[in-house]
Amino acid sequence: MRVISLFLAALLCVMLGAATMLLGSRDLQAQQAATSDPAATGNGHAPASGLSQSDIARMLPATDMGANAARQNNPHLASMGDSPATPFDGAPIPANPLAPNADAVGAKTCVACHAQENVQASHSLHVASFRAGAANTGPQAACESCHGPGSEHAKDPTAPGKIIAFTHDAKTSPQTQAGVCLSCHAGGARQHWIGSIHQNRGLSCTDCHNPMARLSPEGVLAKSSINEVCATCHQDIRAKFNRRSHMPLPEGQMACTDCHNPHGSITKPLLKTDTVNETCYTCHAEKRGPFLFEHAPVRQNCLNCHDVHGSNQQTLLVAPIPMLCQQCHTMTRHPNDLQGAAGLGTGPHPDERLMGRGCLSCHANIHGSNNPSGPKFHK
Amino acid sequence: MLAQKGNRTTPKALALGLLAGLLGMQCAMAGDTSGTMRVGDMQYGNGLDLRGWTPMLYPADPDGTSYLHPGMLRTPTGALYPYPPMADAGRPLGQGDWTYAGLLQFGYLHVGGDRNAEYFRQYDDWKSGAVLGLFALDFNNRKTGSYVDFRGSRISGDDQFYRLRGGRYGSYRIEAFYRDMPHTVSTSAYPIWNGVGGTDLTLPAPLVAGASTPAQVAAASAATPRRSIGLTRTRAGLGYEGVLYRDWIGSASITNEKRTGTRLWGGSMFFNFPFPDNGGVLETVRPIDFRTTDINLSLRNVGKVWRFLATYNGSFFRNHKDHLNFESPFRLWNVVGTPQVADIKNGQFSLEPDNDYHNLRLDLSRELKGNGQFTVAGAWGTMRQNDALLAPTTCVGTGGIFIAPPVNYTFQCANWNTTAALSRKNANARIDTGLLDARVSFHPTAAFGWHAGLRWYREDDKTRYLAYNPLTGQYGYISENGSQGSVVPGETGIFDSRNPLYRSANVTVRNNPFGYTDTLFELGGDWQFGSKSSLGVVYTFDHNRPKYRERRRVDDQRIKFDWVSRDVIGATVRLSWEYARRDGDRYNYDPYEQFFSRSLPGFVVPANGIAVHTVADMRKYDLSNRTESKARVIITHPWGESATLSATFYGNRDRYDALIGRQNTQTTGATVQWDWQPTPATTVNAYLGAESSRMGISNVNDADGPDNGKALGTIGQTNPNLGGPLYPYANQWWELDRESNRNAGLSFSHDFGRVRLDGSYNYTGSFGHVGYSYATIGALAYRDPTAVAASGSGFPDNKYRTNTLDLGVNFTVNRSVGVRVFGRYETGAFSDWHYAGFDNTLSYDHRIYTDKGGQLHYSVSLVGVMLNLKL
Repeated sequence: MRVISLFLAALLCVMLGAATMLLGSRDLQAQQAATSDPAATGNGHAPASGLSQSDIARMLPATDMGANAARQNNPHLASMGDSPATPFDGAPIPANPLAPNADAVGAKTCVACHAQENVQASHSLHVASFRAGAANTGPQAACESCHGPGSEHAKDPTAPGKIIAFTHDAKTSPQTQAGVCLSCHAGGARQHWIGSIHQNRGLSCTDCHNPMARLSPEGVLAKSSINEVCATCHQDIRAKFNRRSHMPLPEGQMACTDCHNPHGSITKPLLKTDTVNETCYTCHAEKRGPFLFEHAPVRQNCLNCHDVHGSNQQTLLVAPIPMLCQQCHTMTRHPNDLQGAAGLGTGPHPDERLMGRGCLSCHANIHGSNNPSGPKFHK
Repeated sequence: MLAQKGNRTTPKALALGLLAGLLGMQCAMAGDTSGTMRVGDMQYGNGLDLRGWTPMLYPADPDGTSYLHPGMLRTPTGALYPYPPMADAGRPLGQGDWTYAGLLQFGYLHVGGDRNAEYFRQYDDWKSGAVLGLFALDFNNRKTGSYVDFRGSRISGDDQFYRLRGGRYGSYRIEAFYRDMPHTVSTSAYPIWNGVGGTDLTLPAPLVAGASTPAQVAAASAATPRRSIGLTRTRAGLGYEGVLYRDWIGSASITNEKRTGTRLWGGSMFFNFPFPDNGGVLETVRPIDFRTTDINLSLRNVGKVWRFLATYNGSFFRNHKDHLNFESPFRLWNVVGTPQVADIKNGQFSLEPDNDYHNLRLDLSRELKGNGQFTVAGAWGTMRQNDALLAPTTCVGTGGIFIAPPVNYTFQCANWNTTAALSRKNANARIDTGLLDARVSFHPTAAFGWHAGLRWYREDDKTRYLAYNPLTGQYGYISENGSQGSVVPGETGIFDSRNPLYRSANVTVRNNPFGYTDTLFELGGDWQFGSKSSLGVVYTFDHNRPKYRERRRVDDQRIKFDWVSRDVIGATVRLSWEYARRDGDRYNYDPYEQFFSRSLPGFVVPANGIAVHTVADMRKYDLSNRTESKARVIITHPWGESATLSATFYGNRDRYDALIGRQNTQTTGATVQWDWQPTPATTVNAYLGAESSRMGISNVNDADGPDNGKALGTIGQTNPNLGGPLYPYANQWWELDRESNRNAGLSFSHDFGRVRLDGSYNYTGSFGHVGYSYATIGALAYRDPTAVAASGSGFPDNKYRTNTLDLGVNFTVNRSVGVRVFGRYETGAFSDWHYAGFDNTLSYDHRIYTDKGGQLHYSVSLVGVMLNLKL
């Protein structure tokens, strides 16, 4: 059943992409040119209040995330501006669609109210890096690099949407939130965030991350470990790891992100490699082969036989042996007998097809054999 | 070893090149890291501390993260952020700009009770003795953003990790790590052989290979001391990431893993079940002696419009033990009853060959007008191995059966026990892969977006092997090291068109180079309703073209709807439902003729025809027609200011259009979780989960075989149809696997000031039942009245249950010193019918087993005391 011919589908995809690229190219170049103009960015636009940047600088504290205060309290810190700039010195201020006329006010203004946020955030990797930048070259955007210009919020602090917010009940849309983060973190591991399952489900970066406090050893996570973050939504998957056979995730040796890239991937379900098998081969390299004699379902997809999140059978199998094998093997003679309890070690006819490793007692090289006499994986 | 083999790429050379490259790199500015691009090593923890830094979490900051609102804020979905630990500004380090902070936790652990319980120590190497809970030391330069972090923990020499990271925020990062991870496979193993862990398993006296009685083997097994089977993964790695030039960011890492130990394995000297006091079925132990070196390189450029990413992943696997030889204690007899001329008493396995893997991938993205993005990715990969092949057999002398002239089924081992008997000496195996993925997505308005994608992937097995013996001019192989052909005449595995005894033997003569090409098209749209709700729909068409399989085309169409709302009575609800149909072209139940000797010239069809490969109504579940539906609801409900109630409901139903084969699967489950953090000092969590699943299959016993009371070659063996003389309806049977899983957990933590109390209780209960029914007793493997009565309608229930109670008390002595006392009590129960009776004996006629399976009941305790020093 082929509702859409493959050729048409491919053609449609390519045409749509090409046309939109062509149409969008000119507009985007203009947009890019605009964003490269400091006057047109949120960082450098003409203040809606009519005040110049220097006016604001005189009226408001410097936006150094407390670097000066830290310097005053710490005799070991050298004076400002004597080190090379860090990458964060030029962090832009994102526009807030819900407060388009807001102006930047500077971190010290923010900290005047958000003192505790400053304490915690300054010890998170994320803000500490900003702070290091500010310590070198003086006043720079910091809070507003993520939260957008704060003047409207400062005027009306309780009005939702006046500042870019990342928490529950925020007026800021998840798309805007993600856009803020991706303005620095685009590409690399996040190359395929757009269109990913997590993006489509309306997740925001701060569903998994919290850059405002050090809640995790790394990754500025929203909880204390990767697995706890994932289990916030994927409770059933986490529970499967409690079963008899599992990978060492409950023992703290492994994380969901060892196999999955939650930021998006071109391989379902959010796998880091081109296929399921290539992901498995990364740790189980001995299964990669290729072998002289291959076993079709093994080479096609490890998940044909294994439930990698946990199983009640041995070695993560999806069904007990010999049932697992008898789903496909109906060949004449020994594979297709109905094995009953009579064949157990306690039964009247103990049978090797059932006991212990069952079929694998003989077909031990079931993942493939490199022996010239191994077409049936006996050798 | 990374030494070069043949003309293969040399991992050592690559590693040296990588290191040289690292040293030559100039550290400049950079974005962030690529950790979630690479597989593995994202988590450093152990059984003492799953997170790998739990002691750093306390005490919690009583002020939370804000003075402006009570409690903690929530994620956009509605889950509470935990209270952060008290910020530690660190201490100055000398007169410079550096500060440091750290924690040292060490102490003593005592393990009591059934300390060798398999499921207690599956991935934990619990031992009584001194342990390093955590050693964490962070150095920071607030001025330059430079840092150095160290973390380490040690339960034992096989269960430890150490990691050092350093760099400069936003500029570069260097990482080095070392870790040992244990994996216990069995703690109740009784292998009868000498040489466990090596490549040659020999029988201890008084057992004699090929000449021992079952009683002697049973006695030897009973006298064998218990031992554990398992392995340790030892990994070490070095990585760098930083800007190479302007916006070009590069990363490089090399990881080396040594995996050593043992695993349970098999050993076949032909069947025992149809031939009492004959054959040999052995559960052996194989060595694990692997080394894998992985090299990952990436280069990316992130502009405002274009994003480029190139990655190279290389993996080089080396197995230092390429075979397992074993002695079988059992004597073999031919079923004809003539004097046994063969003396087959040894078996052999080829173990996994060395292999090399390369994958090069390019990803390119471009932002488009209409809030869109176009992404194209292409990858090429190859996996290769060229290990030296072993000889078809290790037997010496004569194999096979001599009946009477001219009926001589013997073969001379000398013609088969050297690699001169092979058509080539090396495997020369290779699989190439190719990937092309293109997708566009647009959100022209805030209320509407769409995307389309096309993915093409091919896996091409280029391995071609012909099983031909130039010494004898025969095709085929020596089955089960010669044992099969020494028990049943003519089943040696050989085809010889010149010999009337072998010219009708239908045996494998070529490898099957399975492969496939998969093309997937996806089209989807999503609509935003107001600011809180959205609806999405995605259609996918997956067109798969397998090679050398029962179908040449398999199409899977799928439509998926998802609905997200952030305000359903205050809760966030994510609901998805999908429906899929799979079909394809004609199902050919036997596409394998070309790989068997019947495709060779000179093959003579036997008088009763060629036995059918399988029943024609069989449908392998990865290729059969199927309908599938799945549904999932995830609810996150903020409950007051300080609690969150979350739940998941899910299920799937699969129906396979198969008379024989997998027929259906289904899963239904739910989880409920309650998290409460009323104050920074108190957290409580409760969890419940339940899931049931089932899978049904059908199969049919043939009416043509010694196990069915008929001689081989009876009429009807060429009729593949269900309901025919070979596969009569009367022999059809059905099997249903039902499983249920229950989970519950309760944890709490409260800080009284100088004393903090924490505890948790967790329960896991899994139950499985395999039941069966059959048309008549013709389906059964055994049909005598005793066997029929014993078979009943199913196997005994399988069970896996654990109860774990953890309690801990932390005492704060002063700001820098604390003491933690903790304990765990765990009980477990296990039963699996595969091991039924193994507690009494591991010896059953010509079968000898090694593993008794997990302990039926166990209880174990852990008590520890730790000293915490804040550095």
